[in-house]
Amino acid sequence: MSAFSTDTLATSAQTAESPALIRERKDRRRALGLLTPGLIWMALFMVLPMVMVVYVSFWTQTTFAVNSELTTASWERFLSSPTYLSAIWTTLRIWLIVLVLTILVGYPVALFIGLFVRNKTIQTALLVACVIPFWTSFLIRVIAWRPMLGTEGAINTILLKLGVISEPLTFLLFSEFSVLVGMTQIYCVFMVGPITFMLGRIDISVIEAARDLGASFGTVFRRIILPLSLPGVMVGSIFVSVMVLGEFATAASLSGRKVNLLGNIIVSQVGSLKWAFAAVAGVVLTIIITAVIALALRLVDLRKEM
Amino acid sequence: MQSGILRPALATYTALFLLFLYGPMIVLAILSFQSIDGGPQFPIRDWSTYWYQHLLGLAESSRVSQLPVGESLVRSMMLAFMTTVVSTILGVMSAEAFRTKFKGSGPAFYLIILGMMVPGVLVGLGMALLSNTLGIGRAWWSTSFVLHVVYTYPFAFLIMLAIFNRFDRTVEEASLSLGVTPAQTFRRVTFPIIFPGVLSAMLFSFTLSYDEFARTLFTAGRDLTLPLSIYGTFSVEIYPNLFAFGVLTTLFSFTLLVIYGLLMKRFTAKASRFSGQEDAA
Repeated sequence: MSAFSTDTLATSAQTAESPALIRERKDRRRALGLLTPGLIWMALFMVLPMVMVVYVSFWTQTTFAVNSELTTASWERFLSSPTYLSAIWTTLRIWLIVLVLTILVGYPVALFIGLFVRNKTIQTALLVACVIPFWTSFLIRVIAWRPMLGTEGAINTILLKLGVISEPLTFLLFSEFSVLVGMTQIYCVFMVGPITFMLGRIDISVIEAARDLGASFGTVFRRIILPLSLPGVMVGSIFVSVMVLGEFATAASLSGRKVNLLGNIIVSQVGSLKWAFAAVAGVVLTIIITAVIALALRLVDLRKEM
Repeated sequence: MQSGILRPALATYTALFLLFLYGPMIVLAILSFQSIDGGPQFPIRDWSTYWYQHLLGLAESSRVSQLPVGESLVRSMMLAFMTTVVSTILGVMSAEAFRTKFKGSGPAFYLIILGMMVPGVLVGLGMALLSNTLGIGRAWWSTSFVLHVVYTYPFAFLIMLAIFNRFDRTVEEASLSLGVTPAQTFRRVTFPIIFPGVLSAMLFSFTLSYDEFARTLFTAGRDLTLPLSIYGTFSVEIYPNLFAFGVLTTLFSFTLLVIYGLLMKRFTAKASRFSGQEDAA
């Protein structure tokens, strides 16, 4: 021990470095050592595959295979095909509608749980109640909408019994409507969570002060609650956006092939071994998602909010 | 906060929202008790547990083929287990690294977080292309497994980061400077503090991987995992046996959740007993 410390002293005297500095460098080396396996994993199994998608999108597609001769043929075909272009449009439209729906549906719930329920136990219980459906398989939750919305489903049965309608509503299932309802239900919780978290952090005395000074609830909401909850809305929007943009399963099982998202295009192209076309659709999807995340990150610092 | 009508209105709205969340699953659960000649819709002809027997292979003869879930269930469990172990270890290591300030921590943070952001269908496609090009066979335990870790490791990392943020480093240093060996310090000081986080990270990793579908679709090769088997039944006509299966998997997930809750409770009870002793002394 003593030999070690004199040794360190000697070296530090030689190079005129303080022990604190040496320790700092040692800590940094240890941190990098701990981080390296994770970063290598991400580089090999996330970054490299994504690079591969971009690369293959310029390969030559033959009937049943691709070869690595570079060409822009797949891109030209993709960008001149009305089917593929309409898939881009559908993806953007569904994304925007679902995003707005999750905010509209989720915000009042978050407002109630985060601000109006001040009992911690009830608050936690309500949040847990929102999260519990997540412990059901995603695909089962999607398919559960079929007996709900179908022509002989629960909603039609109830409405018929009540005499509200005389014939079953057919637009409920296998339409864009069912995709929107399904996605809103599945992804809404990712909006409720972050907003509730932000609202829960609001100091209640700030609101009380405003009310004492004569502000109406509308004013309090507009001037205090809404601005303070916006980071939550942004974080929720990022979650919902990346999940909805990469979706294909909900559309595949609830739309009856009427809704084709970019994800569905990728799946069907891979199914028919058109790897280059699938890669082009993948790159387009990547560009859209990157743009959306970049925009959102300009508005909110994710690292600070978590 | 008092504001007259608003509070009851929001409470009613929240109740309706919960109905919206649970409605489909409730309907699904009711229809899983459909009789043998009933379809996957109303009305319920007769209450029976026929479709549960059918699912478990106990029904004698049937016009409907059995759901191919047996082997894929085992595969999914093993995959989820492997993913849990690796992503929890990686998550703890990376979060520990982030306790030290170092250059490039921002990009490193975002590189890890990207794993939970990138759509599964994209990395799945990329991994399929990569394995095709390199001539590596695709299988659930290789190509799917690495993608599952890419997805769950960021969750484990974030959970551990939250734990370490609240964990004062001087506690460890005090132990070390009192002459306790690093191994003992880890066992007696570090581990008890980070254990709830590790347990949560494991729960997240397991359930996310067990249910993961998009990342597995292109990378699993010939042997299917559970979500893939389920997805396969979507394209053909669905029968109430799928609903019975939905009810059973939900019960299984709840069992996991209860085990997690019990472990957590037992652990916190032990911790509070420990601090109680200190108070007495």
